[in-house]
Amino acid sequence: MESLRPYLQFARLAFQRRATYRLANWSGAAVNFFFLLVHAQVLLGFFRARANAGGWSASDAVLYFAASESLLMVIGIFPDFRYNLAERVRTGEIVSDLVRPVTLLWRELAERYGTGAYYLVTRAPAVFGAGWLVYGLVPPPRWELALFPLSLALAMAVSTGLWFLACSSAFWRESANGEMSAIVFVNSFLGGVFVPIDFYPPLMRWVTDVLPFRATLYTPVAILAGKLSGAELAFGLLHQVVWVAGLLMLASLLETRGLRRLAIQGG
Amino acid sequence: MANALRLYLYLASASLRSHMQYRATFALRSVIDFGVIISDLAPIWVLARYFGNLDGWSFAELALLYGMVATSWGIIEVTLRGFENFSTYLVRGDLDRLLLRPRSVILQVAAHDFEARKLARIAQALLVLGLASASLGLGAGSLAWVALGIVGGTICFGGIVMLGASVAFWTLGETSELQNILTYGGSAALSYPVSIYTKWFRRVITYGVPLAFVNYFPALAALGRVESAGWPRVMPWLSPFVCTAALFVGMACFSRGLRRYESAGS
Repeated sequence: MESLRPYLQFARLAFQRRATYRLANWSGAAVNFFFLLVHAQVLLGFFRARANAGGWSASDAVLYFAASESLLMVIGIFPDFRYNLAERVRTGEIVSDLVRPVTLLWRELAERYGTGAYYLVTRAPAVFGAGWLVYGLVPPPRWELALFPLSLALAMAVSTGLWFLACSSAFWRESANGEMSAIVFVNSFLGGVFVPIDFYPPLMRWVTDVLPFRATLYTPVAILAGKLSGAELAFGLLHQVVWVAGLLMLASLLETRGLRRLAIQGG
Repeated sequence: MANALRLYLYLASASLRSHMQYRATFALRSVIDFGVIISDLAPIWVLARYFGNLDGWSFAELALLYGMVATSWGIIEVTLRGFENFSTYLVRGDLDRLLLRPRSVILQVAAHDFEARKLARIAQALLVLGLASASLGLGAGSLAWVALGIVGGTICFGGIVMLGASVAFWTLGETSELQNILTYGGSAALSYPVSIYTKWFRRVITYGVPLAFVNYFPALAALGRVESAGWPRVMPWLSPFVCTAALFVGMACFSRGLRRYESAGS
Protein backbone atom coordinates (compact mmCIF):
# COMPACT_ATOMS: atom_id res chain seq x y z
CA MET A 1 0.00 0.00 0.00
CA GLU A 2 2.91 2.27 0.78
CA SER A 3 4.01 2.25 -2.88
CA LEU A 4 0.64 3.65 -4.01
CA ARG A 5 1.02 6.80 -1.96
CA PRO A 6 3.14 8.83 -4.39
CA TYR A 7 0.61 8.12 -7.15
CA LEU A 8 -2.29 9.28 -5.00
CA GLN A 9 -0.29 12.41 -4.35
CA PHE A 10 0.25 12.98 -8.08
CA ALA A 11 -3.47 12.53 -8.70
CA ARG A 12 -4.31 15.00 -5.94
CA LEU A 13 -1.83 17.56 -7.23
CA ALA A 14 -3.17 17.24 -10.78
CA PHE A 15 -6.66 17.90 -9.39
CA GLN A 16 -5.44 20.96 -7.49
CA ARG A 17 -3.46 22.33 -10.43
CA ARG A 18 -6.62 22.44 -12.54
CA ALA A 19 -8.62 23.86 -9.66
CA THR A 20 -6.25 26.83 -9.46
CA TYR A 21 -7.42 28.17 -12.82
CA ARG A 22 -11.17 28.38 -12.32
CA LEU A 23 -11.79 31.04 -14.93
CA ALA A 24 -9.86 28.98 -17.49
CA ASN A 25 -12.08 26.01 -16.74
CA TRP A 26 -15.28 28.00 -17.26
CA SER A 27 -13.93 29.49 -20.50
CA GLY A 28 -13.25 25.94 -21.65
CA ALA A 29 -16.77 24.93 -20.67
CA ALA A 30 -18.13 27.75 -22.85
CA VAL A 31 -16.11 26.41 -25.78
CA ASN A 32 -17.45 22.87 -25.21
CA PHE A 33 -20.98 24.26 -25.07
CA PHE A 34 -20.52 26.13 -28.35
CA PHE A 35 -19.30 22.97 -30.08
CA LEU A 36 -22.22 21.08 -28.54
CA LEU A 37 -24.62 23.59 -30.11
CA VAL A 38 -22.91 23.32 -33.51
CA HIS A 39 -22.75 19.50 -33.59
CA ALA A 40 -26.31 19.11 -32.33
CA GLN A 41 -27.73 21.56 -34.87
CA VAL A 42 -25.77 20.00 -37.74
CA LEU A 43 -27.08 16.52 -36.87
CA LEU A 44 -30.61 17.88 -36.43
CA GLY A 45 -30.21 19.39 -39.89
CA PHE A 46 -29.12 16.09 -41.42
CA PHE A 47 -31.95 14.24 -39.68
CA ARG A 48 -34.48 16.54 -41.37
CA ALA A 49 -33.66 14.70 -44.62
CA ARG A 50 -34.03 11.23 -43.07
CA ALA A 51 -35.93 10.91 -39.80
CA ASN A 52 -34.71 7.56 -38.51
CA ALA A 53 -31.22 6.55 -39.48
CA GLY A 54 -29.79 3.16 -38.52
CA GLY A 55 -31.67 3.03 -35.23
CA TRP A 56 -30.65 6.59 -34.31
CA SER A 57 -33.12 9.41 -33.83
CA ALA A 58 -32.29 13.11 -33.86
CA SER A 59 -32.53 13.28 -30.06
CA ASP A 60 -30.14 10.31 -29.71
CA ALA A 61 -27.61 12.29 -31.73
CA VAL A 62 -28.10 15.43 -29.61
CA LEU A 63 -27.69 13.41 -26.42
CA TYR A 64 -24.53 11.82 -27.86
CA PHE A 65 -22.93 15.21 -28.44
CA ALA A 66 -24.06 16.56 -25.07
CA ALA A 67 -22.30 13.57 -23.49
CA SER A 68 -19.20 13.79 -25.69
CA GLU A 69 -18.60 17.52 -25.20
CA SER A 70 -19.07 17.05 -21.44
CA LEU A 71 -16.52 14.23 -21.30
CA LEU A 72 -13.83 15.38 -23.76
CA MET A 73 -11.70 16.94 -21.03
CA VAL A 74 -12.44 14.22 -18.50
CA ILE A 75 -11.07 11.56 -20.83
CA GLY A 76 -8.30 13.80 -22.14
CA ILE A 77 -9.01 13.76 -25.88
CA PHE A 78 -6.82 16.83 -26.47
CA PRO A 79 -3.26 16.87 -25.10
CA ASP A 80 -1.54 19.75 -23.39
CA PHE A 81 0.98 20.81 -26.03
CA ARG A 82 2.86 23.10 -23.64
CA TYR A 83 3.40 20.87 -20.61
CA ASN A 84 3.70 17.12 -21.10
CA LEU A 85 6.06 14.20 -20.82
CA ALA A 86 7.80 15.04 -24.11
CA GLU A 87 8.49 18.60 -22.92
CA ARG A 88 9.90 17.26 -19.65
CA VAL A 89 12.24 15.01 -21.64
CA ARG A 90 13.26 17.87 -23.93
CA THR A 91 14.00 20.30 -21.12
CA GLY A 92 15.64 17.69 -18.90
CA GLU A 93 13.08 18.29 -16.18
CA ILE A 94 12.44 14.54 -16.39
CA VAL A 95 15.41 14.14 -14.08
CA SER A 96 13.25 15.01 -11.10
CA ASP A 97 10.93 12.10 -11.99
CA LEU A 98 13.82 9.69 -12.18
CA VAL A 99 14.86 10.27 -8.59
CA ARG A 100 11.34 9.53 -7.37
CA PRO A 101 10.06 6.05 -6.55
CA VAL A 102 7.55 6.16 -9.44
CA THR A 103 7.38 4.96 -13.02
CA LEU A 104 6.63 7.55 -15.68
CA LEU A 105 3.64 5.67 -17.07
CA TRP A 106 1.92 5.23 -13.72
CA ARG A 107 2.52 8.86 -12.89
CA GLU A 108 0.81 9.88 -16.15
CA LEU A 109 -2.10 7.57 -15.32
CA ALA A 110 -2.41 9.00 -11.82
CA GLU A 111 -2.41 12.54 -13.20
CA ARG A 112 -5.05 11.65 -15.79
CA TYR A 113 -7.37 10.34 -13.06
CA GLY A 114 -6.72 13.42 -10.92
CA THR A 115 -7.33 15.80 -13.81
CA GLY A 116 -10.32 13.78 -14.99
CA ALA A 117 -11.87 13.86 -11.52
CA TYR A 118 -11.68 17.64 -11.49
CA TYR A 119 -13.38 17.99 -14.85
CA LEU A 120 -15.93 15.35 -13.90
CA VAL A 121 -17.17 17.37 -10.94
CA THR A 122 -16.97 20.81 -12.60
CA ARG A 123 -17.02 20.97 -16.35
CA ALA A 124 -19.00 17.83 -17.20
CA PRO A 125 -22.10 18.80 -15.19
CA ALA A 126 -21.87 22.42 -16.40
CA VAL A 127 -21.73 21.49 -20.09
CA PHE A 128 -24.29 18.73 -19.76
CA GLY A 129 -26.58 20.99 -17.72
CA ALA A 130 -26.37 23.76 -20.32
CA GLY A 131 -27.19 21.20 -23.02
CA TRP A 132 -30.14 20.02 -20.93
CA LEU A 133 -31.45 23.59 -20.64
CA VAL A 134 -31.45 23.95 -24.43
CA TYR A 135 -32.57 20.48 -25.52
CA GLY A 136 -34.12 19.01 -22.37
CA LEU A 137 -32.57 15.58 -22.85
CA VAL A 138 -31.35 13.18 -20.15
CA PRO A 139 -29.87 9.69 -20.56
CA PRO A 140 -32.71 7.14 -20.62
CA PRO A 141 -32.64 5.09 -17.39
CA ARG A 142 -31.34 1.64 -18.35
CA TRP A 143 -29.31 -0.90 -16.43
CA GLU A 144 -26.45 -0.52 -18.96
CA LEU A 145 -25.75 2.93 -17.43
CA ALA A 146 -24.23 1.10 -14.45
CA LEU A 147 -21.35 0.10 -16.73
CA PHE A 148 -20.65 3.71 -17.72
CA PRO A 149 -18.18 4.46 -14.86
CA LEU A 150 -16.13 1.37 -15.77
CA SER A 151 -16.09 2.32 -19.44
CA LEU A 152 -15.10 5.89 -18.57
CA ALA A 153 -12.20 4.71 -16.40
CA LEU A 154 -10.99 2.41 -19.19
CA ALA A 155 -11.28 5.25 -21.72
CA MET A 156 -9.04 7.43 -19.55
CA ALA A 157 -6.43 4.67 -19.46
CA VAL A 158 -6.56 4.28 -23.25
CA SER A 159 -6.09 8.01 -23.85
CA THR A 160 -3.19 8.08 -21.35
CA GLY A 161 -1.62 5.17 -23.23
CA LEU A 162 -1.95 6.94 -26.58
CA TRP A 163 -0.41 10.18 -25.29
CA PHE A 164 2.36 8.24 -23.62
CA LEU A 165 3.23 6.50 -26.90
CA ALA A 166 3.27 9.84 -28.73
CA CYS A 167 5.34 11.59 -26.03
CA SER A 168 7.87 8.80 -25.68
CA SER A 169 9.13 9.55 -29.18
CA ALA A 170 10.80 12.52 -27.50
CA PHE A 171 13.38 10.05 -26.17
CA TRP A 172 14.55 9.56 -29.75
CA ARG A 173 13.73 12.89 -31.44
CA GLU A 174 13.56 16.58 -30.51
CA SER A 175 9.83 16.96 -30.14
CA ALA A 176 6.68 14.87 -30.06
CA ASN A 177 4.27 17.63 -31.10
CA GLY A 178 3.90 16.14 -34.57
CA GLU A 179 2.96 12.72 -33.21
CA MET A 180 0.51 14.34 -30.81
CA SER A 181 -1.25 16.34 -33.55
CA ALA A 182 -1.46 13.19 -35.68
CA ILE A 183 -3.22 11.40 -32.84
CA VAL A 184 -5.57 14.37 -32.33
CA PHE A 185 -6.63 14.24 -36.01
CA VAL A 186 -7.04 10.47 -36.18
CA ASN A 187 -8.70 10.22 -32.78
CA SER A 188 -11.15 13.02 -33.59
CA PHE A 189 -12.31 11.08 -36.61
CA LEU A 190 -12.03 7.41 -35.65
CA GLY A 191 -12.90 8.05 -32.00
CA GLY A 192 -16.26 9.58 -32.89
CA VAL A 193 -15.67 13.17 -31.74
CA PHE A 194 -17.40 14.73 -34.77
CA VAL A 195 -19.63 11.87 -35.93
CA PRO A 196 -20.85 8.79 -34.04
CA ILE A 197 -19.06 5.88 -35.73
CA ASP A 198 -22.41 4.16 -36.35
CA PHE A 199 -22.78 6.33 -39.46
CA TYR A 200 -19.50 5.22 -41.04
CA PRO A 201 -19.45 3.10 -44.20
CA PRO A 202 -18.95 -0.65 -43.42
CA LEU A 203 -15.24 -0.82 -44.22
CA MET A 204 -14.42 2.23 -42.07
CA ARG A 205 -16.68 0.89 -39.36
CA TRP A 206 -14.57 -2.26 -39.37
CA VAL A 207 -11.38 -0.20 -39.10
CA THR A 208 -12.74 1.69 -36.08
CA ASP A 209 -13.60 -1.61 -34.38
CA VAL A 210 -10.02 -2.86 -34.76
CA LEU A 211 -8.04 0.29 -33.89
CA PRO A 212 -7.92 1.65 -30.32
CA PHE A 213 -9.48 5.07 -31.00
CA ARG A 214 -13.15 4.24 -30.41
CA ALA A 215 -12.15 3.14 -26.90
CA THR A 216 -11.32 6.74 -25.93
CA LEU A 217 -14.58 8.56 -26.57
CA TYR A 218 -17.15 6.58 -28.51
CA THR A 219 -17.69 3.63 -26.17
CA PRO A 220 -18.35 5.52 -22.90
CA VAL A 221 -20.34 8.25 -24.66
CA ALA A 222 -22.50 5.79 -26.57
CA ILE A 223 -23.22 3.91 -23.32
CA LEU A 224 -24.30 7.16 -21.67
CA ALA A 225 -26.46 8.09 -24.66
CA GLY A 226 -28.11 4.65 -24.46
CA LYS A 227 -26.87 3.47 -27.85
CA LEU A 228 -24.94 0.37 -26.77
CA SER A 229 -26.54 -2.79 -25.46
CA GLY A 230 -26.26 -6.57 -25.64
CA ALA A 231 -23.47 -7.96 -27.79
CA GLU A 232 -22.36 -4.48 -28.93
CA LEU A 233 -21.95 -3.36 -25.34
CA ALA A 234 -19.96 -6.50 -24.49
CA PHE A 235 -17.76 -5.98 -27.53
CA GLY A 236 -17.21 -2.31 -26.67
CA LEU A 237 -16.04 -3.07 -23.13
CA LEU A 238 -13.89 -6.02 -24.24
CA HIS A 239 -12.32 -3.86 -26.95
CA GLN A 240 -11.51 -1.28 -24.27
CA VAL A 241 -9.99 -3.84 -21.89
CA VAL A 242 -7.84 -5.38 -24.64
CA TRP A 243 -6.54 -2.00 -25.76
CA VAL A 244 -5.86 -0.80 -22.21
CA ALA A 245 -3.70 -3.89 -21.71
CA GLY A 246 -2.04 -3.60 -25.13
CA LEU A 247 -1.29 0.12 -24.97
CA LEU A 248 -0.06 0.10 -21.38
CA MET A 249 2.27 -2.83 -22.08
CA LEU A 250 3.65 -1.11 -25.17
CA ALA A 251 4.01 2.16 -23.25
CA SER A 252 5.83 0.41 -20.44
CA LEU A 253 8.21 -1.19 -22.92
CA LEU A 254 8.90 2.18 -24.56
CA GLU A 255 9.53 3.71 -21.13
CA THR A 256 12.24 1.16 -20.38
CA ARG A 257 13.82 1.51 -23.84
CA GLY A 258 13.57 5.28 -23.84
CA LEU A 259 15.11 5.73 -20.40
CA ARG A 260 18.03 3.59 -21.49
CA ARG A 261 18.66 6.02 -24.34
CA LEU A 262 18.11 9.14 -22.29
CA ALA A 263 21.11 11.33 -21.65
CA ILE A 264 20.69 14.34 -19.39
CA GLN A 265 23.24 17.10 -19.70
CA GLY A 266 24.49 17.99 -16.27
CA GLY A 267 25.03 21.59 -15.38
CA MET B 1 3.25 50.50 -45.61
CA ALA B 2 6.15 49.04 -47.63
CA ASN B 3 8.35 49.55 -44.61
CA ALA B 4 5.84 47.70 -42.40
CA LEU B 5 5.64 44.81 -44.84
CA ARG B 6 9.42 44.56 -44.97
CA LEU B 7 9.60 44.48 -41.19
CA TYR B 8 6.90 41.79 -41.04
CA LEU B 9 8.77 39.64 -43.57
CA TYR B 10 12.02 40.16 -41.67
CA LEU B 11 10.49 39.04 -38.36
CA ALA B 12 8.66 36.17 -40.01
CA SER B 13 11.81 34.89 -41.66
CA ALA B 14 13.61 35.00 -38.31
CA SER B 15 10.84 32.86 -36.87
CA LEU B 16 11.06 30.54 -39.88
CA ARG B 17 14.83 30.17 -39.48
CA SER B 18 14.39 29.09 -35.87
CA HIS B 19 11.82 26.44 -36.90
CA MET B 20 14.19 25.25 -39.62
CA GLN B 21 16.76 24.28 -37.01
CA TYR B 22 14.77 21.05 -36.77
CA ARG B 23 14.29 20.22 -40.44
CA ALA B 24 13.01 16.65 -40.05
CA THR B 25 10.47 17.73 -37.42
CA PHE B 26 9.38 20.58 -39.67
CA ALA B 27 8.84 18.23 -42.65
CA LEU B 28 6.99 15.67 -40.55
CA ARG B 29 4.73 18.28 -38.98
CA SER B 30 3.90 19.77 -42.38
CA VAL B 31 2.76 16.34 -43.59
CA ILE B 32 0.76 15.84 -40.40
CA ASP B 33 -0.83 19.28 -40.69
CA PHE B 34 -2.12 18.22 -44.07
CA GLY B 35 -3.95 15.49 -42.13
CA VAL B 36 -6.37 18.04 -40.68
CA ILE B 37 -8.39 17.05 -43.76
CA ILE B 38 -9.08 13.74 -41.96
CA SER B 39 -10.49 15.28 -38.82
CA ASP B 40 -12.30 18.21 -40.47
CA LEU B 41 -13.53 17.17 -43.92
CA ALA B 42 -13.97 13.40 -43.51
CA PRO B 43 -16.82 13.76 -40.95
CA ILE B 44 -18.69 16.03 -43.40
CA TRP B 45 -18.24 13.37 -46.09
CA VAL B 46 -19.48 10.61 -43.76
CA LEU B 47 -22.62 12.54 -42.84
CA ALA B 48 -23.36 13.69 -46.40
CA ARG B 49 -22.92 10.11 -47.64
CA TYR B 50 -25.18 8.68 -44.95
CA PHE B 51 -27.98 11.22 -45.11
CA GLY B 52 -27.75 12.25 -48.78
CA ASN B 53 -27.85 16.01 -48.26
CA LEU B 54 -28.10 18.77 -45.68
CA ASP B 55 -31.12 20.99 -46.34
CA GLY B 56 -30.50 20.54 -50.05
CA TRP B 57 -26.73 21.07 -49.90
CA SER B 58 -24.75 18.27 -51.57
CA PHE B 59 -21.34 17.08 -50.39
CA ALA B 60 -19.58 19.08 -53.14
CA GLU B 61 -21.36 22.25 -52.00
CA LEU B 62 -20.51 21.56 -48.35
CA ALA B 63 -16.89 20.93 -49.41
CA LEU B 64 -16.88 24.33 -51.11
CA LEU B 65 -17.99 25.96 -47.82
CA TYR B 66 -15.30 24.01 -45.95
CA GLY B 67 -12.62 24.88 -48.51
CA MET B 68 -13.41 28.58 -48.28
CA VAL B 69 -13.40 28.85 -44.49
CA ALA B 70 -10.40 26.53 -44.13
CA THR B 71 -8.37 28.64 -46.58
CA SER B 72 -9.21 31.90 -44.79
CA TRP B 73 -8.53 30.44 -41.36
CA GLY B 74 -5.36 28.70 -42.59
CA ILE B 75 -3.95 32.00 -43.85
CA ILE B 76 -4.58 33.55 -40.43
CA GLU B 77 -2.99 30.60 -38.63
CA VAL B 78 0.17 31.04 -40.68
CA THR B 79 0.41 34.82 -40.68
CA LEU B 80 -1.18 36.00 -37.40
CA ARG B 81 -0.39 33.09 -35.10
CA GLY B 82 1.06 35.52 -32.55
CA PHE B 83 -2.41 36.79 -31.67
CA GLU B 84 -3.59 33.28 -30.89
CA ASN B 85 -0.68 32.80 -28.48
CA PHE B 86 -0.86 36.36 -27.24
CA SER B 87 -1.95 35.60 -23.67
CA THR B 88 1.25 33.60 -23.18
CA TYR B 89 3.39 36.60 -24.16
CA LEU B 90 1.41 38.74 -21.78
CA VAL B 91 1.83 36.37 -18.85
CA ARG B 92 5.50 35.65 -19.51
CA GLY B 93 6.34 39.32 -19.96
CA ASP B 94 7.43 38.90 -23.61
CA LEU B 95 5.12 41.77 -24.46
CA ASP B 96 7.32 44.20 -22.57
CA ARG B 97 10.18 43.35 -24.90
CA LEU B 98 8.03 44.12 -27.93
CA LEU B 99 6.92 47.42 -26.37
CA LEU B 100 10.52 48.54 -26.05
CA ARG B 101 11.07 48.44 -29.79
CA PRO B 102 10.13 51.55 -31.77
CA ARG B 103 7.85 49.64 -34.16
CA SER B 104 4.14 48.83 -34.32
CA VAL B 105 3.25 46.30 -31.62
CA ILE B 106 0.47 44.81 -33.76
CA LEU B 107 3.00 44.10 -36.49
CA GLN B 108 5.46 42.50 -34.09
CA VAL B 109 2.84 40.31 -32.44
CA ALA B 110 1.58 39.27 -35.88
CA ALA B 111 5.01 38.08 -36.98
CA HIS B 112 5.81 36.37 -33.66
CA ASP B 113 5.57 32.56 -34.02
CA PHE B 114 5.18 32.64 -37.80
CA GLU B 115 4.34 29.00 -38.49
CA ALA B 116 5.29 28.02 -42.02
CA ARG B 117 4.37 24.36 -41.46
CA LYS B 118 0.75 25.43 -41.36
CA LEU B 119 1.04 26.24 -45.06
CA ALA B 120 0.09 22.57 -45.36
CA ARG B 121 -3.32 23.48 -43.94
CA ILE B 122 -3.83 26.09 -46.63
CA ALA B 123 -2.68 23.55 -49.22
CA GLN B 124 -5.27 20.97 -48.16
CA ALA B 125 -7.98 23.63 -48.10
CA LEU B 126 -7.07 24.80 -51.62
CA LEU B 127 -7.07 21.20 -52.83
CA VAL B 128 -10.58 20.67 -51.45
CA LEU B 129 -11.65 23.99 -52.94
CA GLY B 130 -10.27 23.07 -56.36
CA LEU B 131 -11.92 19.65 -56.40
CA ALA B 132 -15.24 21.06 -55.17
CA SER B 133 -15.24 23.88 -57.75
CA ALA B 134 -14.38 21.43 -60.54
CA SER B 135 -17.09 18.96 -59.57
CA LEU B 136 -19.65 21.76 -59.29
CA GLY B 137 -18.48 23.18 -62.64
CA LEU B 138 -18.19 26.74 -61.30
CA GLY B 139 -17.77 29.48 -63.91
CA ALA B 140 -15.52 32.55 -63.77
CA GLY B 141 -18.16 34.69 -62.04
CA SER B 142 -18.67 32.08 -59.32
CA LEU B 143 -14.94 31.65 -58.82
CA ALA B 144 -14.61 35.40 -58.41
CA TRP B 145 -17.17 35.21 -55.57
CA VAL B 146 -15.20 32.35 -54.00
CA ALA B 147 -11.98 34.39 -54.18
CA LEU B 148 -13.70 37.47 -52.79
CA GLY B 149 -15.11 35.34 -49.96
CA ILE B 150 -11.68 34.00 -49.06
CA VAL B 151 -10.14 37.48 -48.96
CA GLY B 152 -13.03 38.83 -46.88
CA GLY B 153 -12.99 35.78 -44.60
CA THR B 154 -9.28 36.19 -43.96
CA ILE B 155 -9.78 39.85 -43.06
CA CYS B 156 -12.71 39.00 -40.76
CA PHE B 157 -10.77 36.23 -38.97
CA GLY B 158 -7.89 38.69 -38.61
CA GLY B 159 -10.22 40.99 -36.68
CA ILE B 160 -11.49 38.07 -34.61
CA VAL B 161 -8.05 36.88 -33.47
CA MET B 162 -7.15 40.45 -32.50
CA LEU B 163 -10.39 40.77 -30.57
CA GLY B 164 -9.67 37.40 -28.89
CA ALA B 165 -6.13 38.48 -28.00
CA SER B 166 -7.24 41.80 -26.55
CA VAL B 167 -9.46 40.05 -23.97
CA ALA B 168 -6.18 38.89 -22.37
CA PHE B 169 -5.42 42.49 -21.32
CA TRP B 170 -8.41 42.39 -18.98
CA THR B 171 -8.34 38.78 -17.77
CA LEU B 172 -4.56 38.26 -17.86
CA GLY B 173 -4.71 35.23 -20.10
CA GLU B 174 -6.94 33.02 -18.00
CA THR B 175 -9.72 33.19 -20.56
CA SER B 176 -7.49 32.44 -23.54
CA GLU B 177 -9.67 29.45 -24.41
CA LEU B 178 -12.65 31.72 -25.06
CA GLN B 179 -11.27 32.87 -28.40
CA ASN B 180 -11.48 29.26 -29.60
CA ILE B 181 -15.25 29.72 -29.75
CA LEU B 182 -14.97 32.21 -32.60
CA THR B 183 -11.88 30.75 -34.29
CA TYR B 184 -12.05 26.93 -34.14
CA GLY B 185 -15.73 26.89 -33.21
CA GLY B 186 -16.49 29.49 -35.85
CA SER B 187 -14.71 27.59 -38.60
CA ALA B 188 -16.41 24.34 -37.53
CA ALA B 189 -19.82 26.02 -37.64
CA LEU B 190 -19.10 27.62 -41.02
CA SER B 191 -18.32 24.25 -42.63
CA TYR B 192 -22.12 23.93 -42.83
CA PRO B 193 -24.67 26.34 -44.32
CA VAL B 194 -25.79 28.97 -41.81
CA SER B 195 -29.42 28.27 -42.81
CA ILE B 196 -29.43 24.99 -40.82
CA TYR B 197 -29.00 26.77 -37.50
CA THR B 198 -31.91 27.88 -35.33
CA LYS B 199 -33.00 31.48 -35.59
CA TRP B 200 -31.23 32.92 -32.54
CA PHE B 201 -27.95 31.15 -33.35
CA ARG B 202 -28.17 32.31 -36.97
CA ARG B 203 -28.72 35.89 -35.84
CA VAL B 204 -25.79 35.79 -33.44
CA ILE B 205 -23.34 34.56 -36.10
CA THR B 206 -24.69 36.98 -38.70
CA TYR B 207 -25.36 40.24 -36.89
CA GLY B 208 -23.51 39.68 -33.59
CA VAL B 209 -20.17 38.36 -34.80
CA PRO B 210 -20.32 38.54 -38.60
CA LEU B 211 -19.12 34.94 -39.17
CA ALA B 212 -21.76 34.29 -41.85
CA PHE B 213 -20.05 36.86 -44.06
CA VAL B 214 -16.81 34.84 -44.00
CA ASN B 215 -17.95 32.18 -46.47
CA TYR B 216 -21.70 31.60 -46.39
CA PHE B 217 -22.99 34.68 -48.21
CA PRO B 218 -20.21 34.68 -50.85
CA ALA B 219 -20.87 30.94 -51.37
CA LEU B 220 -24.59 31.64 -51.87
CA ALA B 221 -23.66 34.10 -54.61
CA ALA B 222 -21.12 31.68 -56.12
CA LEU B 223 -23.62 28.83 -56.21
CA GLY B 224 -26.56 31.04 -57.22
CA ARG B 225 -28.61 29.64 -54.35
CA VAL B 226 -31.68 31.23 -52.86
CA GLU B 227 -32.18 30.06 -49.30
CA SER B 228 -35.41 29.46 -47.47
CA ALA B 229 -34.15 31.68 -44.65
CA GLY B 230 -34.87 34.59 -47.03
CA TRP B 231 -31.75 36.73 -46.73
CA PRO B 232 -31.74 40.12 -48.46
CA ARG B 233 -30.08 39.67 -51.87
CA VAL B 234 -27.56 42.35 -51.03
CA MET B 235 -25.84 40.22 -48.32
CA PRO B 236 -22.98 38.80 -50.47
CA TRP B 237 -22.15 42.32 -51.67
CA LEU B 238 -21.90 43.53 -48.08
CA SER B 239 -19.34 40.84 -47.20
CA PRO B 240 -16.13 42.80 -47.96
CA PHE B 241 -17.38 45.83 -46.02
CA VAL B 242 -18.57 43.88 -42.99
CA CYS B 243 -15.32 41.87 -42.88
CA THR B 244 -13.21 45.03 -43.07
CA ALA B 245 -15.29 46.56 -40.28
CA ALA B 246 -14.60 43.43 -38.17
CA LEU B 247 -10.87 43.91 -38.71
CA PHE B 248 -11.05 47.53 -37.56
CA VAL B 249 -13.06 46.60 -34.47
CA GLY B 250 -10.45 43.95 -33.61
CA MET B 251 -7.58 46.39 -34.09
CA ALA B 252 -9.35 49.08 -32.05
CA CYS B 253 -9.94 46.69 -29.14
CA PHE B 254 -6.33 45.56 -29.22
CA SER B 255 -5.01 49.13 -29.22
CA ARG B 256 -7.34 49.99 -26.38
CA GLY B 257 -6.09 47.06 -24.36
CA LEU B 258 -2.53 48.03 -25.10
CA ARG B 259 -3.14 51.56 -23.79
CA ARG B 260 -4.42 50.27 -20.45
CA TYR B 261 -1.66 47.68 -20.15
CA GLU B 262 0.50 48.03 -17.07
CA SER B 263 3.36 45.61 -17.03
CA ALA B 264 3.75 43.37 -13.99
CA GLY B 265 7.18 44.92 -13.83
CA SER B 266 8.85 41.61 -13.13
